[in-house]
Amino acid sequence: MITISNLTKKYNGTTVLDIPALNIQPGESFGLVGNNGAGKTTLFRLILDLIEANSGEVTIKNQPVARRDEWKSYVGSFLDENFLIDFLTPDEYFAFVGKLYNKSEGDISAFLEKFSEFFNGEVTGNKKLIRELSKGNQKKTGIAAALLGDPQILILDEPFTALDPSSQIRLKRILNELQETKNTTMLISSHDLNHVTEVCKRTVVLEKGKVVRDIATSDDTLKELESYFAV
Amino acid sequence: MLIADLLKQEFRKGFRSQAFYRGLAVKLFMGFMTLYFAAIFITIGFSLGKILEEVHDTRTPLELINGASVYIILAALTIRFFMQSLNTLNLQAYQSLPVKRSTLVNFILLKPLFSIGNYLTLLVVIPFAVRSVSAWHSGWVALQFVVVCILIIWMDIWLASYLKRRFGSDLRAFVVILLILAGVAALEYFKVFSVFGFSMKIFGFVMMNPLGLVVALLVSGMAYGLNLMFFSKNYYPEKFNEKLSRGENKVTGGFSFLEKYGTIGELIQLQIRLIFRHKRTKSLIYMSAVFMLYGLLFYTNEMYSGSPAWLIFCGLIVTGMASLTYGQWVISWESNYFDAILTKNIPAKTYIKVNYFILIAFNVISFLLSTPYLLMGTKFFFLHVAMFLFNTGINAFLLIFTATFNNKRIDLSARSMFNYQGTTYKSFLIILPVMFFPMLITFILANFLSFNMILLVLGLLGLSGVVSIPYQMKLCTQQFVRRKYALAEGFRESE
Repeated sequence: MITISNLTKKYNGTTVLDIPALNIQPGESFGLVGNNGAGKTTLFRLILDLIEANSGEVTIKNQPVARRDEWKSYVGSFLDENFLIDFLTPDEYFAFVGKLYNKSEGDISAFLEKFSEFFNGEVTGNKKLIRELSKGNQKKTGIAAALLGDPQILILDEPFTALDPSSQIRLKRILNELQETKNTTMLISSHDLNHVTEVCKRTVVLEKGKVVRDIATSDDTLKELESYFAV
Repeated sequence: MLIADLLKQEFRKGFRSQAFYRGLAVKLFMGFMTLYFAAIFITIGFSLGKILEEVHDTRTPLELINGASVYIILAALTIRFFMQSLNTLNLQAYQSLPVKRSTLVNFILLKPLFSIGNYLTLLVVIPFAVRSVSAWHSGWVALQFVVVCILIIWMDIWLASYLKRRFGSDLRAFVVILLILAGVAALEYFKVFSVFGFSMKIFGFVMMNPLGLVVALLVSGMAYGLNLMFFSKNYYPEKFNEKLSRGENKVTGGFSFLEKYGTIGELIQLQIRLIFRHKRTKSLIYMSAVFMLYGLLFYTNEMYSGSPAWLIFCGLIVTGMASLTYGQWVISWESNYFDAILTKNIPAKTYIKVNYFILIAFNVISFLLSTPYLLMGTKFFFLHVAMFLFNTGINAFLLIFTATFNNKRIDLSARSMFNYQGTTYKSFLIILPVMFFPMLITFILANFLSFNMILLVLGLLGLSGVVSIPYQMKLCTQQFVRRKYALAEGFRESE
């Protein structure tokens, strides 16, 4: 599904990402862990063509992503608040995003219905603008919008931070369901090793821009990761 | 004293903000403009006495100024009401500290008095007082005149911020104020009641009688009191910063018909919402509406209406102010959610098309609104047609193409009229040629062509641009795709 080859990214001469080869299969749930500055967000931004690689390329369905539009119709993503339009209400934002993916109003409200538990009554049906929402509710808005277009590939950066415990559990349930029912390919980064091992079948550890571990999740994965990160 | 500490912190905030270290070129340009206007003001101040002496034989210049005072104050209040940003304070940081509420309120109200920009009028007032008032009356009156002017400035500041806090800054207030001004002017014009004479008496007392000083003090004290009252009624500190954000959801509901037009319609609706939900973009539209009246000034004045280059300039402003000012920061307006633009299902081509559509829509609306100038002569109508074509065919392209170089983030939620975020030397590089290029062409062509022929040339240039819009869009799309990484990176850097 996603193929990365010889990908490097440098800022002011220092290499922040260097991945010779990485393949992500259709339907795979791919977890990305690493300390601050390991290059997780950089990798996601490269996949989403938000920054330019110094060398190498990312292809999705054998098509390079750089400077193209085709992949946008089936990739859903939420990295940070720059993906939100802060002067809209969540409802307006969902309507906007939904229309971009050719969803009818009925589709959109049916979709949001499924999220009502996750939203906990604080996101939709409110007159509040997105910029007036709490960080957690902003995050929920962004995640839901990323899923709105029925993406074949879903990319989320730190989806669990800023969420309350119940919402974290609900989000995990939603993600697991998507894997089972829609076979969505997922790329999820997190600081929290627990969450990643619960949601992802494959876990990759980044350190200083390099892939240092690439593990298929098993019962021992959490221990292995914990011992890796232990100082 | 606490207020002094708070003021010091505000100064630091100014000096340490990123905006302060904005490009040298911008600073130089701003500095140059400031000097330029200061020079103009001082010159006006020195010559005002002479000018007024010629206006009327029996009244002294100061008396004439007194008569006009009501108008001047009302006008200043109106301008302030729309331009002055409410003074706010990062409250959260102070709320938890043991600072008294009244200290905070006093600080918010006193802060604007320490901003030099508010005293620009004095550049006119002081030379006038020194040169004319002291000669006609006495040095004492001149001094009192200056002091009262300062008090009036204070009163204006406080009254404007009170009105703003009380009523917000919605369109209705704009209309009401215009009506009041028109009403006062009408009373004067039809000789029902001479506001001028009334004002002359009142301000004659305030400016010349020592007791008048007390009156001025009392009145500006009352304006201050009004604010205090407002704050005591609206106890909770959120109110300090509120008001502006209210009542903005209504305006944009009427555009839902755009939803029928798929992605393009959605994106257009989004930009309309952007415009009407932010102070900066809204005031930009109001200002453009005001600039549409520029023609009344230029077309009736011999000096300008006789000069083809000035006429062209004015035509450009009347039919294009909105698209020129909005277009100057097109793309940058959306810097807050630019990553969404790049990753959601929005083809680059569509995105460019939308921006074209918006600018062209501005041009069409401005042109339609300018048609009443037909009453002043067909000459102006043709001028507007030509400039409309020029704006649409050529300037829209220049603005959108060059917008891809402006990668400074604009954070629209920071509400301020004089918010120059996103202004770099690049914006001047763009806007100056766009404004003055047609003037330059005209200036040259005027040597061997009649005005109508010049209009024809400019109109045809514009028309050929309009015809080639599909091709222009292709160029802009390529350019946008080439520059999108630099844009996205710049927009992610917040000030």
